[in-house]
Amino acid sequence: MRKNKRFAGVALLAAVGIFATACGSDTKTATSGTTGGTTATAGTTGGTMSSTPLNLGIAFDTGGRGDGTFNDSAARGGDKAKTELGAKLDELEATGDQDRKPNLETLTKNGDNPVIAVGFLFGDDLKTVATANPKTTYGIIDSVVDAPNVKSLVFAEEQGSFLVGAAAALKSKTGHIGFIGGQEIDLIKKFQAGYAAGAMAVNPKIVIDVKYLGAAGDNAAWGSPDKAKEIANGWYAAGADIIYTAAGGSGAGTIDAAVASGKWAIGVDSDQYVLATPDQQKHILTSMIKRVDVAVFETAKAVQSGDTKGGVQVFDLKVDGVGYATSGGYLDDVKDKLEAFKKQIIDGTIKVPTAP
Amino acid sequence: MSTTELSAETTTATKPNLLAIINSRHGLRLITAGTLLLVLLSITRLITGADDLTSSGTMGTTLRLTVPILLAGLAGLWSERVGIVNIGIEGMMIFGTWFGAYGAWQFGPWVGLLMGVGGGAIGGLIHAVATVRFNVDHVISGVALNLLAAGGMRYMSELVFVGKKGGGISQSPPRKSAIPTFDVPFLAGGKLFGWKSPDMLGSIEDKHWFVISDLAGILRGFAFGMSWATLLALCLVPLTAWVLWRTRFGLRLRSSGEAPFAAESLGVKVTRVRYLGVIISGSFAGLGGAYLSVVSFSAYRQGQTAGRGYIGLATMIFGNWRPSGVLGGAMLFGFSDALKLRRDDSIPALFLFISFIAALVMVLSIYRKRLIPGVLAGAFGVLFLVTYLTVNKVPSSLTQATPYLVTLLVLATASQHLRPPAYAGRPYRPGESH
Repeated sequence: MRKNKRFAGVALLAAVGIFATACGSDTKTATSGTTGGTTATAGTTGGTMSSTPLNLGIAFDTGGRGDGTFNDSAARGGDKAKTELGAKLDELEATGDQDRKPNLETLTKNGDNPVIAVGFLFGDDLKTVATANPKTTYGIIDSVVDAPNVKSLVFAEEQGSFLVGAAAALKSKTGHIGFIGGQEIDLIKKFQAGYAAGAMAVNPKIVIDVKYLGAAGDNAAWGSPDKAKEIANGWYAAGADIIYTAAGGSGAGTIDAAVASGKWAIGVDSDQYVLATPDQQKHILTSMIKRVDVAVFETAKAVQSGDTKGGVQVFDLKVDGVGYATSGGYLDDVKDKLEAFKKQIIDGTIKVPTAP
Repeated sequence: MSTTELSAETTTATKPNLLAIINSRHGLRLITAGTLLLVLLSITRLITGADDLTSSGTMGTTLRLTVPILLAGLAGLWSERVGIVNIGIEGMMIFGTWFGAYGAWQFGPWVGLLMGVGGGAIGGLIHAVATVRFNVDHVISGVALNLLAAGGMRYMSELVFVGKKGGGISQSPPRKSAIPTFDVPFLAGGKLFGWKSPDMLGSIEDKHWFVISDLAGILRGFAFGMSWATLLALCLVPLTAWVLWRTRFGLRLRSSGEAPFAAESLGVKVTRVRYLGVIISGSFAGLGGAYLSVVSFSAYRQGQTAGRGYIGLATMIFGNWRPSGVLGGAMLFGFSDALKLRRDDSIPALFLFISFIAALVMVLSIYRKRLIPGVLAGAFGVLFLVTYLTVNKVPSSLTQATPYLVTLLVLATASQHLRPPAYAGRPYRPGESH
């Protein structure tokens, strides 16, 4: 009798657990199902859309569609492929490390081609999956995976960061700015190096505070807005007036602090002004834009036209793969100077360092 | 935390007298330890010149980082004191962050905190139903709850936050407004009827005197830019201690965790008491979560709790299942976290400080003829001292690991004297005493 009760309890809990997990995956399938459905209708009515059917699979990293920065940028690329190339779009989002490989496998099995992995954390898993499925073409953002069917899509973040660094130095009244990074890894150090170089190019005496939220491998660094906020509050109180944050979801904490102390924050990856509330918009000076959307769209387009070769593609200032946002018009007075820097970087007069 | 105090607690002599003794010794010990820590901190600051070590800014950051861990630790305390192990604190905190952010976005920050408490309490109720009613293994139920919370709140975000300005599947729109902060008049230059009073602690802090300025800085951390929510959370420490150790209800709670069959034979409704304890535990965890999404930051973000529920459990063990101990453990984590986020020269200073503490622990242990912990502490101290002396820039991975190393140090040296509630985690069925 007692035993039965205990068993019932376990069963109940297990049922609830399974139900919750099922809810999650159900919605995911449902989302991709509806997107597929609408595209199909669009395809039949459109008619004139490109001939080869295209099934684009996007594996988002944690945060996913709606994170306001990195993943959202990739999502825009997918949406563009849907409307302009008539692609059928399948999306899966990783909620943790354990999801990445299964998500890539699911998209592959689903018949998606290309499958694009959004984020360097997919690196090792993608290598395994791509080797096992040589007929599918893969793309990976922010990492170089050496396989004949993987297009490695990397960005010249240091060039975009140079420009927002120059913008920060031009707009700073105190000559004191800051940089907050997510994990202390080479990828994020590129942002720091470019930012510092840009700021120094304008004002060699500028003070630049630098802090990282976590060591390599500490994934909480991408999702600790409270800690970014504490760092930013400390620097703003000590006289810094502009802080650039390259730390995924943590960056929202810097914007919080900027709003509270009436200072400036610089966004990253997407134009963060666009998704911000009116209160926040008054404090977002600019954003270092990384056109992950362009990379996603171009990869989809290439595969549709039969280019399935692997290799490394660099998206830099020259091809508008990186850049700075002008939303809000806060940079109107310094735009000429920034454009001059941009020209010099493109023609090679300025070489931007990739490591601090 | 010492042997005398613990044996006093376990012997069954006249209760009120013993309580008074424990209390006075406990208080005395806390004051001594506090003074010692302060002097050591001050010496460290003078040697290293890292003035930020005891500044009011560092203290303010410490407090804000301490509160969620503290509330998680108290949540664990409430639950384990009634005999239910609560691994599900992380999940209850996730409920708290989500409901807190929802309330703060829809209705305002105070409602947000309340809804966070409610969300956590629901989590507590689920855990209680599973463990008290159905006698499910406490750890399994807790883990299930953590999974349920993560998946469930993501699903709720999809229903509620997607498509709203600033919201998405992994985050909520920002709260309506922040919970107000205050500066205490005279102590920290707060306003009194529109007149700006002098900032007494601030001016002493800026002098950088030995001990006095450090004390002023630390006190000013409590008086300057203090959020009402932080104050509320800190007040829950003495409240918990008072309820659990000074009221009839508290005695029943604790007896359910120490000896439920004995309590039952004396007419305590153990099942009901356990339900209450676990629900209160959930409320504390929920408040901790809501603090993260309403006070520390302005919105809910997936993964925001970042394992604080588990760190809270560690502080509960660290604090020997006592509110003051939990506060100490939580502040240790909060302080070392805060130093990481503030001026760079504070980190080497922290290493020197830790080697001082290790030396102190070593001396104490050897004095009490406990050789192994003493040697261990000594080794720790040498390790940190050598790091301080030789390394110019401390590698960030070591910095991140510091609080965990300190916890290991403390647990290694103090674990022989930890005393969990006797019946925590063991199955109990009413009326089945042997």
